[in-house]
Amino acid sequence: MTALRRLRKLVLGETWTLPLVLGAGLASAGLIRVLAGPHGWWRSAGGFLLLAVAVLALTVSLPRRS
Amino acid sequence: MTFVLTLAGALLAVSVEMLEALAIVLAVGVTRRWRDALYGAAAAALAVAALAGALGPLILARISLNPLRVVVGTLLLLFGLEWLRKGVLRLAGLRSPSSSFREFVEQREALEEAALPPPGHPDWAARAIAFKGVLLEGVEVVLIVVALASRPGGTVPAVAGGAAALLLVGGLGFFLRAPIARIPETHVKYVVGVMLTTFGVFFAAEGLGVEWPLGDAALLYLAALLAAVSQLQVVALARESRARVAAP
Repeated sequence: MTALRRLRKLVLGETWTLPLVLGAGLASAGLIRVLAGPHGWWRSAGGFLLLAVAVLALTVSLPRRS
Repeated sequence: MTFVLTLAGALLAVSVEMLEALAIVLAVGVTRRWRDALYGAAAAALAVAALAGALGPLILARISLNPLRVVVGTLLLLFGLEWLRKGVLRLAGLRSPSSSFREFVEQREALEEAALPPPGHPDWAARAIAFKGVLLEGVEVVLIVVALASRPGGTVPAVAGGAAALLLVGGLGFFLRAPIARIPETHVKYVVGVMLTTFGVFFAAEGLGVEWPLGDAALLYLAALLAAVSQLQVVALARESRARVAAP
């Protein structure tokens, strides 16, 4: 049990928020890419959307500001 | 440029992980016996090498390039963002600074409580602790190096950076036989967090068909943007923390 907990912490980190937001963000980005088509705006701007997902995941995983 | 950044990323990330493993092995060696500490560490190193030997070629041979980039990018994002989150909290004063030296002291105190077996008998407790410490940090090293190596042209800088880190940290441990208390680990881990997150965004986007403006130079502006955003978060959290302390 302890080994499983250590493995989860090793891969997913200390909080659930970060992997959950990241997973949802990446899934949404994949869906947007399909809707936008492989040669549309996604090709040049999709990376910045992923950057925004990473920043969002980091921000919500930090303690909330009052 | 990607070569240098991959090399630096692997070097820093593996150095930090190995420093943590070194702290545990040193604690076992200083408190118990060096032979048992080294047996435990060597067994774990063999297990990690077997894992790397099995995992690396399997991943690189079986999965096609774009899905692999997405998987690798996601893995690097998970590692990088976690390190970045901890780095932001530490720099904002909301989490105690990272310290292999403190880990060394805690481990040594825990080990001093257990009785030492008579000379000539194996110290299984010491071996198990050294084994576990090196194995856990080693698995993380393997995952990071395999992730960085999976990009075309990434194998040489990732493996070279990882190998240089092993030699560097191993050499420090061998010559000094004491943990390095003065390394600014908090800052090093924060930089590693920025680098791994940068590679994660870059790889995942490439896997999803993105062509980055300015090509590989995108790594530089992505790192700068992530550093700027995370520094803003450090400032905001530190200010909020100070305001909370000052409030009556």
